Amino acid sequence: MSPPSTFVDETDLHALVDGELDPDHRRRVEDHLLLHPGDAALVEDWRRQNAALRAAFEPIALETPPLSLRTAATRAAAQSQGPIETGATHWGRPSGTPRPRRIEDLRVRQRRQAALISALLLVSGLALAGLAAFVFAGGRSEAPRAPAPTAFSQGYVSRAGLTYATYTVDAHPVEFDATRRDELADRLKTRVGFSRIPDLSAQDLRLLGGRIVPGVSGPAGFLIYERADGGRVGLYFERAVFAAAPPAPRGGFGVTAIEWRAADFAFVLVGPLPPDAMQAAAERAAALVTTPTP
Amino acid sequence: MRVNSEILAALSEATPGLRRYARALGAGAAAAVADGLTQSALQSVGARLFARELRPAGPEEARLEAYIAVTALAARKLVDAPPPGPRHPAIVHGLAALPFEERAVLLLISLEGFGYDATARIVGAPRESVLAWLRRARQALASDAGAPAEMTETTDAPRAHPQAPHLRVVK
Repeated sequence: MSPPSTFVDETDLHALVDGELDPDHRRRVEDHLLLHPGDAALVEDWRRQNAALRAAFEPIALETPPLSLRTAATRAAAQSQGPIETGATHWGRPSGTPRPRRIEDLRVRQRRQAALISALLLVSGLALAGLAAFVFAGGRSEAPRAPAPTAFSQGYVSRAGLTYATYTVDAHPVEFDATRRDELADRLKTRVGFSRIPDLSAQDLRLLGGRIVPGVSGPAGFLIYERADGGRVGLYFERAVFAAAPPAPRGGFGVTAIEWRAADFAFVLVGPLPPDAMQAAAERAAALVTTPTP
Repeated sequence: MRVNSEILAALSEATPGLRRYARALGAGAAAAVADGLTQSALQSVGARLFARELRPAGPEEARLEAYIAVTALAARKLVDAPPPGPRHPAIVHGLAALPFEERAVLLLISLEGFGYDATARIVGAPRESVLAWLRRARQALASDAGAPAEMTETTDAPRAHPQAPHLRVVK
């Protein structure tokens, strides 16, 4: 007659094998096994499994582990490396953990420096190219090959206006005064190529003198006439290398400028007189410069 | 800050067992990888000890942490481990055929001598799951060996969890 074994199940058998039973429970399960050879065989089979596992792997525990393994925890704690990459395998190389990171950082830094240098070179090249293009384009825009008539007309007028503003208010407005008219004519003939000095006394304009001034494309002549009330009128002339000027007089800054062309020269009469008086003076001067000197 | 030398000594003493456990988890086929896992786990525990992230109450708990680290690493790194060679015994081949959880639980209990509660903590699963995995692992290994895997019908108590048949082609 078998004793009751109501409380013994498979979990108890595993617990018996694994030493998880208290003494009373263990005795009860062992009694159960005595009466149930099938369960006893099962338990015996599991114990054989355990023995086979230990036989297969126990020699590993008996080996002396590599130094890197024996000192792994101590080294990590002593070197204060902080959290490490737990998935990495660093066996056989003590203190080798940070080195790949340093190399990688160095390479990243080198790549960044190379990229920065490339960007700087690119920007510098673009800046140089832009500067060269600007200089080249600027030089060509001032070249006399294909001038725009209005621009060059404005060039003569502007130069005449500048010359007038520079010299008529000066304490020594002329280089050669009226008493040295012949000397002035010779100098104008030599430098400018035109030596006819119109007499505008009919317009109440007395010749004060003249000088050689820088023109748009070469030396220019500048004659200064003075009215009785002190107002001064300038006649600017330069060998014209550009197209004809527009006939309309131009005004600004309190003066009037009238430009015309004669004998391959550009003439600009600049003065503060009323436009009618300026027009009359210009017509008179234009008539005189085209008349051969007796 | 100094780490308790007693804890470090316990980890050092546990190293041979950890190495054995990692090698068995790899089913004898990836010795180098298993040693690497052990070293990484020990370094991880050492670093956490130094950073005060880990404050084990005693040497045994430090040892437990080391096994937890090895198990967690192995679960990721040994997924594609190659099968054992022909020279390995049959038990190793049977071990390699087990799912990772069953293999880990069987090794922790049968090879490393941990109790059920400690094993549940190492694998991070409830005690009931640990018992179920252990049962299946032993049944699978017994089936591989051709031994009877079922309890005799003389047990009076009904089975709480009837065993599913494990059919496995072995040849």
